[in-house]
Amino acid sequence: MAACIRYIVNDVSAAIDFYTKHLGFKLEMHPAPPFAEISRGDMHIYLTQPSQRGGGGAPMPSGELQSPGGWNRVHLTVDDLDATIAELKSAGCRFRNEAIQGVGGKQILLEDPSGNLIELFQPNTPAYRAPGSGTKANGH
Amino acid sequence: MTSETVNVRYMVEDVEAAVAWYTGHLGFTVISKYIPAFADVGRGSLRLLLSGPTSSAGRPMSDGERPAPGGWNRIHLIVDDLAAEVARLRAAGVRFRNEIVTGPGGSQVLLVDPSGNLVELFQPDGRH
Repeated sequence: MAACIRYIVNDVSAAIDFYTKHLGFKLEMHPAPPFAEISRGDMHIYLTQPSQRGGGGAPMPSGELQSPGGWNRVHLTVDDLDATIAELKSAGCRFRNEAIQGVGGKQILLEDPSGNLIELFQPNTPAYRAPGSGTKANGH
Repeated sequence: MTSETVNVRYMVEDVEAAVAWYTGHLGFTVISKYIPAFADVGRGSLRLLLSGPTSSAGRPMSDGERPAPGGWNRIHLIVDDLAAEVARLRAAGVRFRNEIVTGPGGSQVLLVDPSGNLVELFQPDGRH
């Protein structure tokens, strides 16, 4: 079953290139310049440019425009975070931080061309017990 | 085809309040809770990770900037009857960011969670 997320981007074409080239997303549709749908497994992302035309990118009733950014993000699980980071860095991708070790695994924040974040996450092995963790580690 | 989990992380100010809101209003169920740092809730294949200021994801960046709730990116939940959902949620005291807007694919509205994060409810064209 698909689950959907809307990301506000400045340039839908640039976003399609980024997500398909670097993160294994597939283009589902790009029916008009300000909108596209991409997918990776059951994750579907609606890439939406701010627009006066209504729809997902419409301004608020106050006139406030939507914009990319913020800290909320999709969270993609990878098998080998260090290798993924090395590959993306050599491809010129930007990261917002260095990898950190959390309770449930290691994570890093990648930036898309509009400045939206994507979290890459490698879960701990079942044997790993982070300091202060409970009996179950689950992506803190 | 079996469903796989789709993970999205939201920063929240108060994990307990967020869990109550997502389970109470939007039909999420609790997967795990590590109050006050973290909880995760699920709805269909969506797993929403709710990370508080004391979680690993809440740690400041190297330049000192702290992750915070908000922004325009959001989960997008499909509903059968948007007008009925809006009426139900308004009666429950849920805050909205805008009025229903209609676009090429359907109608949508933005809810605001207790930390100021957005949730989009969407009714595709052809339903009702």
